[in-house]
Amino acid sequence: MLETEELTKVFKSKAAVDGVSLYLDKGESVGLLGPNGAGKSTTISMISTLSKPTTGDVRLDGRSVVKDPGKMRKVLGVVPQEIALYEDLSAYENLQFFGRIYGLSGSRLEQAIQQALELVGLKERQKEIVKTYSGGMQRRINIAAAMMHEPELIIMDEPTVGIDPQSRSHILEMVRQLNKEKGLTVLYTSHYMEEVERLCDRVYIMDHGTIIASGTKDELKSILSGEETIWIELDRPYPELFAELAAHPEIVQAAETEKGIKLIIPKGKRILGSIFQSAERHQAQILNVNVQTPTLEDVFLHLTGRKLRD
Amino acid sequence: MWAFLKKDILVLLRDRTELAVLLLMPFILIVILGFSLRGLLMGDTEALNMQVALVQHDDEQAGIEQFTGELEAAAVPDQAAEQLEAAAGQVSPSSLLQSVLSSPELEEMLDVMELDEEAARQALQNEEVTAILTIPEDFTLLALRNMLLGEGPGSELELTVADTTSTRANVFQDILTDFTRSLNFETAVARAAAAEGGAISAESPAVQLGGVETVSAREPVNSFQYYTLGMAVMFVLFVSSTIAGKANVERQQHVFNRILLTNRHPFVYLSGKVLSSALISFCQLFVLFLFSTIVLQAFEWNSLEFWLGMAGISAVLAVCVGALAALLTSLTMRFNSDAIVTVFAGGIVTILAFLGGSFIPVSEMPGFLQAFGDWTPNGASMTAYLSWIQERDMTRVMDPLSRVGGTAVVLIAGSLLLFPTRGGD
Ligand SMILES: Nc1ncnc2c1ncn2[C@@H]1O[C@H](COP(=O)(O)OP(=O)(O)OP(=O)(O)O)[C@@H](O)[C@H]1O
Ligand SMILES: [Mg+2]
Repeated sequence: MLETEELTKVFKSKAAVDGVSLYLDKGESVGLLGPNGAGKSTTISMISTLSKPTTGDVRLDGRSVVKDPGKMRKVLGVVPQEIALYEDLSAYENLQFFGRIYGLSGSRLEQAIQQALELVGLKERQKEIVKTYSGGMQRRINIAAAMMHEPELIIMDEPTVGIDPQSRSHILEMVRQLNKEKGLTVLYTSHYMEEVERLCDRVYIMDHGTIIASGTKDELKSILSGEETIWIELDRPYPELFAELAAHPEIVQAAETEKGIKLIIPKGKRILGSIFQSAERHQAQILNVNVQTPTLEDVFLHLTGRKLRD
Repeated sequence: MWAFLKKDILVLLRDRTELAVLLLMPFILIVILGFSLRGLLMGDTEALNMQVALVQHDDEQAGIEQFTGELEAAAVPDQAAEQLEAAAGQVSPSSLLQSVLSSPELEEMLDVMELDEEAARQALQNEEVTAILTIPEDFTLLALRNMLLGEGPGSELELTVADTTSTRANVFQDILTDFTRSLNFETAVARAAAAEGGAISAESPAVQLGGVETVSAREPVNSFQYYTLGMAVMFVLFVSSTIAGKANVERQQHVFNRILLTNRHPFVYLSGKVLSSALISFCQLFVLFLFSTIVLQAFEWNSLEFWLGMAGISAVLAVCVGALAALLTSLTMRFNSDAIVTVFAGGIVTILAFLGGSFIPVSEMPGFLQAFGDWTPNGASMTAYLSWIQERDMTRVMDPLSRVGGTAVVLIAGSLLLFPTRGGD
């Protein structure tokens, strides 16, 4: 349905997006994963015709949307990373306005508004002014506004940043339903691995403006098939211990987490003993050790040596 | 388009501070300026308070006597001579002038004191008086000769003012010009009457002279009227920057991207801006005029014709403000910055308002500035309003009003050219 071809965007000689090629089939749910500044939003704004690629092209059903944005705009719903709403208007008034300028009117408009409100679970509070909503509720209306014209393809740019767990799971469930039950094609951007793992059939991992890995979840995880993840919980941070482990010849990747250290090591290597010795030397108190099967998070760590969220 | 209009107006209505600035500020300024600058304008006669020195070189009695003596000596038929003598007593220009200057209408604004030449010059220098009116030697005799017999060059009043541009001096000069014009008219009547041997009606001269209404052919404008108009045409400009400011918020909050995604033609978005600004401007003007009428009694309220005219001018001005809003919006979107709106609201409006005469009457400014002011939309509509208030003649209003309309067309064309069709990069 949608494909991009060597999409590149240069801002003042710095490439924010550098040769991104990706595709979405009809009815698919695809994740675009990457840390802050990876170029996700820039890629999306080119796909959704809001900014012109420096080079490269975006095709919808084989036709360039760079030359003719109209076709894309008709079938596309975009949930921007920011809350793109009139904060002085009520949720209802916002949806009414966006519905109207999409050409809806009368009972069709009213129906579309109520459907969208129902979808995001804010029917009862529709008359309240947007700026009085909680962050999570604003996010939900932000999604509802993109659904007014019943798009076939919906692009969501980090729709769950900075919200409470309840709103978050509501949104995730909603997206899943839209994709599985209504057959919408979804491009879901996030830097939360677990969201993408839960929602998406296929994943693109992006870093520094390029796609560093892509495939189904299992394909990506198989990158790590020869490796395993060891998570060591410590009572406090030990920078010297971390430095020593990071320099260890047998350890593929090491990362400091909130409560300890995460290590990726080749499967079957017996290095737990030497880890404990190092800990002993630095007088670090180990609270817990956990050997895990890899997650997408670990895939990212493996590929870049960094965690998704810094 | 209606969706955009409704949304823009709703958004503005929810912004109480912005509304207060647009509606209350001008009214407060009208009151302040109206009170403090009373007297700068002709309509506020009681506040003009003009001191005038009168230097009398003429001896009226002697003049009349000499004139009658000359009549008797000359070969004028007796009956005619009698009539002329009677007339001389009645139309003696010196008495008429005195009675005009001390007429109740002028008494409020004029303070005439008789001084000798030297004292008068001193007083003028010390700015104790605004003008010196000198009645020359043999004024009565020469004037009567000319008026009644048609002989000789007549005589001239001499007016000395310190500052020829001051409104007060101009008003006084107007009074005198008007006086002499009326006198000449009376003279013509008197002469015709004398020639026909008819009697001159005793009450005919001087009675209509010198009233404030005849100072100028125009209705006077008082300071509340003036500043209501001045502040109205100034603050109406802020509607455009307010609307463009809201457009900038649409850009910053990415709602504008959302609008772009609906693939509406920019024309629709911009016409929403034009219409909402125009509507808000029109309401703002209406509310201000209404306020001033009710609270300050600045305008008469019972003339439909008057208000229709005001509404017509306001409508054109409102459309022009809409066009200005569209241009500012386009610039904001094109350059991804509201700098232009800030500069406009923070400086350009004030300059336009000054040039357009919102603070001090254009007539008090140097000529080249007046020309600039005539081409500002606010200045031109101010001229249109003033002309309508004073003359009630739509044909006189059309000229400045067409400049306002023309400006609107140019601004709209410019805004369409500049409007971006994609989001910011
Ligand atoms: N308008 C712009 N001008 C200059 N640089 C920009 C602009 N927009 C984005 N960038 C740069 O391009 C890079 C990618 O930004 P982008 O917003 O696409 O990242 P992202 O993956 O969406 O990050 P995040 O998770 O924080 O939203 C960043 O380094 C950013 O600073
Ligand atoms: Mg982003």
